[in-house]
Amino acid sequence: MKKLIPAFLCAGVLFGQSTETTPVPTDESVVSGYIDLGYRWQTGVHGSDASYRSIVDLGSGPKLFGADFTILNTFLPVGSRFFDRINIRLTDIGDDPYESYHLDISKAKIYKFTGDYRNIAYYNNLPGFADPLFGTGLILDEQAQDIHKRLADFRLDLFPNHTFMPYVEYDHASDYGTGIANFVADSNEYPVVNLTRDSTQNYRAGVRIELPKWHFKLEQGGTTFKDDEQLSAGPGVADYGNSGTPVFGQTLSLNSLAEAYAVRGHSYYTDASFGANPFNWIDLYGTFLYSQPVSNVGFAGLDTGNNVLLNQLLFYTSEENFIASAAKAPHTSANFGAEIRPLRRVRLLPSWFTDRMHTSGAGSGVDTLTTSPTSQVPIASLLASTLVSNSNEAGMQAFLDVTKKITLRGGYKYNWGNASDVILPIAELAGYETGKIRRSIWLFGLAWRPVQNAWINVDFEDGSSGSTYFRTSLYNYQKASVRGRYRLLKNLNVSANAMVLQNQNPTPGINYSFLAQTESASFQYIGGKTWDFEGSYTRSTFYSNIFYLNPEFETPEQSKYRDNSHTVTALFNFNLPGWLGYKTRLTVGGTALLANGSNPTVFYQPQVKLSVALRKGLAWNSELRYYGFGEDFYLYQGFRTYTVTTGVRITR
Amino acid sequence: MTRYSRAALFVLFTASLPCLAQKATTSTKAAPPPAASTAPATYVGSETCGTCHEDIGKAFAKSPHAAVDRGESKHGFKGQACESCHGPGSNHVMTLAAADIRNPAKLTPAEVDKTCLGCHRNQPTTSGRLEASHAHNDIACTSCHSVHARGPNGLVSRVRADINAQCESCHIEVKASFAEPFRHRVPENAMTCVDCHNPHGSFKPGLMRMANANEPGCLSCHNDKRGPFAFEHAPVREEGCQSCHMPHGSPNAKMLTRQEVRLVCLECHANLPISSGVVTGVVPPAFHDLTSPRYRNCTICHQKIHGSHIDRNLLR
Repeated sequence: MKKLIPAFLCAGVLFGQSTETTPVPTDESVVSGYIDLGYRWQTGVHGSDASYRSIVDLGSGPKLFGADFTILNTFLPVGSRFFDRINIRLTDIGDDPYESYHLDISKAKIYKFTGDYRNIAYYNNLPGFADPLFGTGLILDEQAQDIHKRLADFRLDLFPNHTFMPYVEYDHASDYGTGIANFVADSNEYPVVNLTRDSTQNYRAGVRIELPKWHFKLEQGGTTFKDDEQLSAGPGVADYGNSGTPVFGQTLSLNSLAEAYAVRGHSYYTDASFGANPFNWIDLYGTFLYSQPVSNVGFAGLDTGNNVLLNQLLFYTSEENFIASAAKAPHTSANFGAEIRPLRRVRLLPSWFTDRMHTSGAGSGVDTLTTSPTSQVPIASLLASTLVSNSNEAGMQAFLDVTKKITLRGGYKYNWGNASDVILPIAELAGYETGKIRRSIWLFGLAWRPVQNAWINVDFEDGSSGSTYFRTSLYNYQKASVRGRYRLLKNLNVSANAMVLQNQNPTPGINYSFLAQTESASFQYIGGKTWDFEGSYTRSTFYSNIFYLNPEFETPEQSKYRDNSHTVTALFNFNLPGWLGYKTRLTVGGTALLANGSNPTVFYQPQVKLSVALRKGLAWNSELRYYGFGEDFYLYQGFRTYTVTTGVRITR
Repeated sequence: MTRYSRAALFVLFTASLPCLAQKATTSTKAAPPPAASTAPATYVGSETCGTCHEDIGKAFAKSPHAAVDRGESKHGFKGQACESCHGPGSNHVMTLAAADIRNPAKLTPAEVDKTCLGCHRNQPTTSGRLEASHAHNDIACTSCHSVHARGPNGLVSRVRADINAQCESCHIEVKASFAEPFRHRVPENAMTCVDCHNPHGSFKPGLMRMANANEPGCLSCHNDKRGPFAFEHAPVREEGCQSCHMPHGSPNAKMLTRQEVRLVCLECHANLPISSGVVTGVVPPAFHDLTSPRYRNCTICHQKIHGSHIDRNLLR
């Protein structure tokens, strides 16, 4: 027996050795991820259904709320794998206003493919604040839209070697739907049905070249665009439009309308950029971008009714309008910069940027007015336009690492440019305008990291302008911000921000004064055993005054805008004691906005969510949400409603 | 010395051993950390690092950076991925001293960026990193990217809700803007912050993305506003969409900067023809009677406000 003991001990050592040398099986499964399925009830809208659909627009029905799956190809030998990893993500499928599908496939050192598709419903049918028909008791927005925006993006990156990495990409964006637009005649305007149908195809390909010290990207692309918008009305009952006032005793009306745009556009573009580290003390970067979009348009319109050409006092019963136009906009942008490190603690960043766009267009048309069954008046027009916009910026910033924890920065930038806007022949509202911009900007900043888990950032920018393009442009302004963040404990973060922007343009006739101020704080305690919490509070203030003359009577007026809003978001999560032995998590919270000022608004979105882990990989989730929206000045736009959601999450 | 005396000394010595041992332990604890080695360090390999930093090693093995260990990076460091950022670790292995290893968490953000950009200079998104406001504000790459991929999001957030949460953790005031009733669909996670902004850098203000080379990024979705138009509305081209819209959120149904459409328009079209060369866009809508509701919503008639293909007054 005694002889067996050493043999047993030796065997134990050998067994131990063999255990250590055996390959450890991977703990990753071939398929992992989750799927969220369920049903949503929308309990009915109290108040404005148009507002609800314009803001929330969630409906009832079965839904696939989300899915995220990863397939790891560990079942085939490396050499015979078509892919290493596939990731599929789906969200909000089932007639929700924003569906999305995403696919990533990759194989190391060979390729990476990404596909993304989104179908976003855009519904906006809110009465305009100056709805011309509001006084008649009829609430009807004249720019309603009920369209679907579909966005698709597919990209393939190839990795034949470590130096040349080509890629190709295809994007598609389209809109399709109906709405209400206006047919604008000379002295009246008529809400009519609008069909929106446009699409853009974008093709591009490029190569990334990575040399040891120099990296380049060269890309060439092109787009095609078409837009076939149509407006139509009647024939049927006469529409008397927004203006009920007779003109010289005659009531204006629209009996029928058919208008169609055929916009065809294309462009090609070039994108070249580089980054380099030629020496240890300097980094260089630069970009050159060029595009030249072109549009060609054919337009045809036929309307009947009783309208007037006011400047000729010419009443007509029908109008035929044919217009052809073309425009192009060659656009060049470039930038160049460097980071120079003359001393260990000093960095200098000179930069330069230019952007030059020259749009030119021309349109010719014939507008034929039928004034009586036997008389027609043709009016021909030929217009040409140019819009030139050149802007430039040059600057230098310096960074000084005072200590490992404190970095100071300062700098200066100068903006200059010119613009002109010309339509020939000069007539009506638009004519010939030029403007220029001259602006000096001083920059200061401080970054302080007192301890490893905390940082404080201070930014200050002071700009002064000799001239600007527009009355509301930044003129003499000061912008300051302070941001701080501190991770007190592993699970506990606090952050606080404060920002202010003040802009003044004292030029007589403008007298623009603008102030925007925001203070925010957030608190995040996550991963607690029994509870956790994340919440934030933001107070935001806007103040704006600018002088103008009333267009009709030329009396002095001030455009005033005030907004003082409080926004609170809070989410409490409680891990409840086992209910019938199941792990249960309760979430209570939501978002609230309370704004006063020029447009007092409240918008509440509280929610309660219960998640019960029924078994490993299966959880039952239920959620109750309330939406409450109200505006003091436009009471008819308010609404309130609940949505109730229940479903399961299956996790693998 | 008698036998009893020797026995007494032995007992005393034996009894004192635990005390001496305890003292020795105490003095070990109280001793300062081992001094950094002055010998030049050499590479020891990621496996050696993983023996102590087991949790990091396991997470790292699943991350894209593990490609460095597998020898799939052109920058070398096969089997030495940890040391490709932390520097050679032989001295650290010998002394276990923190001073003997390069810890990016204790470097300045600029030094951290330099480490990352040593390999990632030419990623499609990083051109302009050097002049990006994140870099200027000392927000290092590691503020958003978890290099060891230990967190729930791996190397970086890929899921829309996580991307938005990450940006909002610093930009609290922007998160609040999205609580406005009219906004882009970011709170619903139909969009992400990085759909419009390039966090790695852009020479456009606000790190705005661009579309089709140098067109505003807004046009990648709002393609019908792209033009070029035979009759442009100058501010759209010269100052961008933000001159009239608040893209994050607004109390106005069309996400305008003012509560009423007419005020947005009249603030520029102010009926004050200031001398040319000072400001543009002041051309007045002279005949409009703003007491009539018909004229108070300018875009009811000037509906092609972003630019028109056929009408110089942007009416159709």
